[in-house]
Amino acid sequence: MTTWRYAAGRLAEYAAVLMVALTLNFALPRALPGGPLKLFGSPEALARLTADERAQIANQYGFGKPLHEQFLDYLGGVFTLDLGTSLSDGRPVTQALGEALPWTLLLVGTSIVCTALVGVTFGVVGALRRRKGKGSGLLGTAIVLDSFPQFWLGMLLIVLFGVQLQWLPTFGVSGVEGVTVSGVLVHLILPVGTMTLTGMGYLFLYTRSSLLTVLTSEPIQHAHARGVPYGQLVRRHALRPALLPVHTILMMEIGFLAAGSIVVETVFAYPGLGRLTFDAITARDYPLMQGAFLVLTLMVVLMNALADATYPLLDPRARAGGGR
Amino acid sequence: MIRQSRTFIATAATLCLALAACGTDIEPPRNGKTAAAAKSVTIAVSSDEGTLTPFTNQTGYPGNNLVKLIFDTLAIVQGDGVVPLLAKQIQTTDNKVFTLPLRSGVTWHDGKPLTAEDVVFSVEFYKKNMEGDSSIDVRPVESVTANGDTVTLTLKAPDPEFPRRILADMAILPKHLWSSVEKVSEAGADKAIGSGPYKLTRYDNARGYTFTANTSYALGKPKVDTVKVVVIPEESTQFAALRTGEIHMSARIVPPQQLQALERQPNIGIVKGTEFASTLLAFNTTRAPFDKPEIRRALAKAIDVADLVKTALLGQGTPGNPGFIHAGSPVKPDQLTPLYDAEAAKRELDALGAKPGPDGIRVLDGKPMSYELLVQSASTDRLRSAELIRDMLKTVGVAVKVTSLDSDSLDAKVWPDYDVRKGRNYDMSMWGWSAPVMLSSGTIAQLVASDPDDGSLNVVGFRNEQVDAIVKTLTSAPTMEARTTAAKQLQAQIAEQMPFLTLYYRNGAYAFRKDVYSGWTWQNGSAVLNKFSLVEFKP
Repeated sequence: MTTWRYAAGRLAEYAAVLMVALTLNFALPRALPGGPLKLFGSPEALARLTADERAQIANQYGFGKPLHEQFLDYLGGVFTLDLGTSLSDGRPVTQALGEALPWTLLLVGTSIVCTALVGVTFGVVGALRRRKGKGSGLLGTAIVLDSFPQFWLGMLLIVLFGVQLQWLPTFGVSGVEGVTVSGVLVHLILPVGTMTLTGMGYLFLYTRSSLLTVLTSEPIQHAHARGVPYGQLVRRHALRPALLPVHTILMMEIGFLAAGSIVVETVFAYPGLGRLTFDAITARDYPLMQGAFLVLTLMVVLMNALADATYPLLDPRARAGGGR
Repeated sequence: MIRQSRTFIATAATLCLALAACGTDIEPPRNGKTAAAAKSVTIAVSSDEGTLTPFTNQTGYPGNNLVKLIFDTLAIVQGDGVVPLLAKQIQTTDNKVFTLPLRSGVTWHDGKPLTAEDVVFSVEFYKKNMEGDSSIDVRPVESVTANGDTVTLTLKAPDPEFPRRILADMAILPKHLWSSVEKVSEAGADKAIGSGPYKLTRYDNARGYTFTANTSYALGKPKVDTVKVVVIPEESTQFAALRTGEIHMSARIVPPQQLQALERQPNIGIVKGTEFASTLLAFNTTRAPFDKPEIRRALAKAIDVADLVKTALLGQGTPGNPGFIHAGSPVKPDQLTPLYDAEAAKRELDALGAKPGPDGIRVLDGKPMSYELLVQSASTDRLRSAELIRDMLKTVGVAVKVTSLDSDSLDAKVWPDYDVRKGRNYDMSMWGWSAPVMLSSGTIAQLVASDPDDGSLNVVGFRNEQVDAIVKTLTSAPTMEARTTAAKQLQAQIAEQMPFLTLYYRNGAYAFRKDVYSGWTWQNGSAVLNKFSLVEFKP
C-alpha cells in the first residue's frame, strides 16, 4: 500500500512538472523578440504587405489567433499527438522530429556509451593509481580535455583527420551517394570522438572523486586493516557505492540526449534534433519549437523517472520502507 | 612517470596548437587540372532551403537561385541587360503594355506543355499569394491576358524597370499543379516542378537535394548531369570539405581572412565579381540629434569608410558611395566625392554648438553626445566595423557604446515586424540591404520616401519634402532615361541629407574545385549560382 501511495505521489509530481513545462514551452517562444512572419518572405517583400495581408497570413497559419486560443490548440494537439505543421518547411512537426530523432539518438547515444566507458574506466584507474604517474597523467589529461571547447576540438579533428590525413569525412551522416551502414559509421567517428573527448573529463573526475571518497572511508580502511585483499575490497565493496552518484549523472545526461548537441551537430552538419531545435529557434518556428521542447521535456521526465525506479535496485537504502 | 605525463600533456598541447596554426595552410593533392563540364557537382549551402518552390525557399540567396534552376522566368538578366527567356521577345512602346510571344516547344518537367494560360495563371496566383521568399509583388499589373501563344501584361502606370523587376524574377508556375494549392507555404517538393534546366529529383532534410539535368530543356543544354546540394551550416567545415573534395563549390562568400589561403590551393579556383549587398550606418532620424542633417553629415565625415574596408574586410570590399548606389549598379549613378574629413567633422560640430566637455565628450543642447550603436552579433565584419566606428567617432568627441544583438532582437528595434509604420527604437545601427535593392531605382526610392506605402524600407524614419518630390518624379518616370536622371538627383540628396551612411559593399568571391567543374560564371545580382553557370543556352 505504501509503495502504491509512493508511486502515485511520484506520478502526480511528474504530471505537475509536465504541465508547467508545457506552459513554458508555449510561452517561451512567444517571449522572444521577433516572430514567425519572417518565414513568409524576404524582409523587403514583407515590408510591402498591408496590415490586412499580414493579418491574413497570421490567421491562416495560426499565430494570429488570441494567445489563449493558441494555447488551447497546443494543449489539444499534445494530447492527440498532433503537434501542428512546421512554418519553415510545411512538414508535420511529428515528421520533422521523427526524422531528426534517430540521428540524434545514434550520435549522442553512442557518445554517451563511449564517454561512460572511457570516463568511468579511467576514473577508476585514476583513483586506484592516484599516487602513481599514470594516475596523475590521467588527471592532467582529463582536466585539459574537459576544458576544450567542442567547437574548437571538432574543427581540429576535421583539419587533422579530414583535410590533412584525408582519412575521415568532414560532414554529414553518410556519403552523398546514399545511406549505408559503413557510411553512417565512418561519418560518426569524428563527431562521436569530439563528444567523447570533451565529455569524458567530467565523468573521469566524478568517478575518481567518488571512488576516492569511498576508498578512504572508515569501513573500507577498517576492512583493509583486517586483512581483506585490496582488489577484493575495491571490486566487492567500494565500486558499487562509488558508482551510485555516477549513475545519477549518467541518467541526467541521457535525459538531455534528445536535445542532441547543437555545437557538434552544427560543426559536422549532422541533421539531428539539436540542429533542428536551433534552426527552429532561429526561424521562430513556433510549432517546431514547441514540438522540440516537448520531446526534450518528456525525455528528461522519463529519465528522471527511470533514475528514480532504478536507484533502489542499486542502493537498498533508497527502497520504499527503508529496506528493513 | 610524472615527467612522462608532463611530457605527454606538453606534446599534446603543442600538437594542438601546431594543428590549429596550420589549419589554413594545408596542401591538398596537386594536379591543378580544370574541368569545363562534369557528371556530378556537389554544392554546399549554409541552411536548409525547404521544398524549393517559389513560395517555400528560405533565403533569397542561394534559395531563390536554386528555385530558378527548377523554374524559368519570362526574361533573364544577362550582364547589365535583360533578355527574353520563356518569351521570344519583350515588346513595348510605352513601358505600360508589354506583349510577350512565348517560345514554342517548352514543356514542364512532367511532360505537359507550357502555355500562355500558365503565365496568366502565375500572375494571378502571385497576386493572391504574397508570401514566400521568391514570391513576386505583381500589384503594379493591372491586367494579364492570353491570346494564343502571346501574353499581354498591362501595368497601372508605365514602369521601364518592369522587365528587370518582374519579368526576370517571376517564376512561371504550372497551372495544372498549382491551381489546387491553398496554403502556399506548405507546398511540398512535389510542387517543385517547373520548366527549368534541372529537375528536383530528391530532397530530404538529412542529405539535401539532388537536381538532375532536364534533357528535354528546350532553351539549352545543361552542362552538368547531376547537381547535389548539401547543407553545411558551419563556415569552416564548408571550406574544409572543399579542400578535401567532398564538395565542389561553396555557395558561401569566401571570408576575407580565408581568401589568400584558398587562392594558393592548386585545385581551388575563385570567381570574383561585384556584390551589390550594402552595409550602412543607419541614423534614427526621428530621434535627436539625428533629426538634424548637419549632425548626421558631421558624424559621417568622421568615419573613414576606406579604412573600414581595409581593416574590417581586409581589403575585400568597395568603400560606400555617399549616395548609396554602387558604381556598378544598372541604375548608373554618379560617383560622388568621399566624405571623410575628421578635421572638417570637428569644425562642423563646433559650429553646431557641440563643445567638448571636461571628459572630452562633446555636449550638445545640454546633453553629452553619447549614443548606442546596435550591431548584429553574427556578423564578424559588422562587429569589427562597429568597433572601428566607435573609435573614429571618439576622436571627434562623440562617445559610442556598441551593443551586439542577435538579428531578431536588432530587427525588433530597428524595423519591428518589417513595418516602418511601427516606428523604431535606436540611436544608430549597423544595417544592410540585400543585392536586389541596388538593382532598381524604384526600390532605392523606398529607402527614403516618407510615405510608408512608398517608403516601405525607410527604417531610419527619414522625412524630407524635396526628396519626396524626387521620389514622385522617379516612380512616375515613363522612360529609363528619366528614371536615371531622377535617381542621380536622389543619390545627391542622400549624400547631402545623410539619412544613413553607406559604409561599404563586400566584394564577391566564391570558391570551387576547378578539377571537378570550372564553368562557374559571374552574374551581377546572382553571383555564380545561376543558370549561365550550369546551362549552355541556345543562341
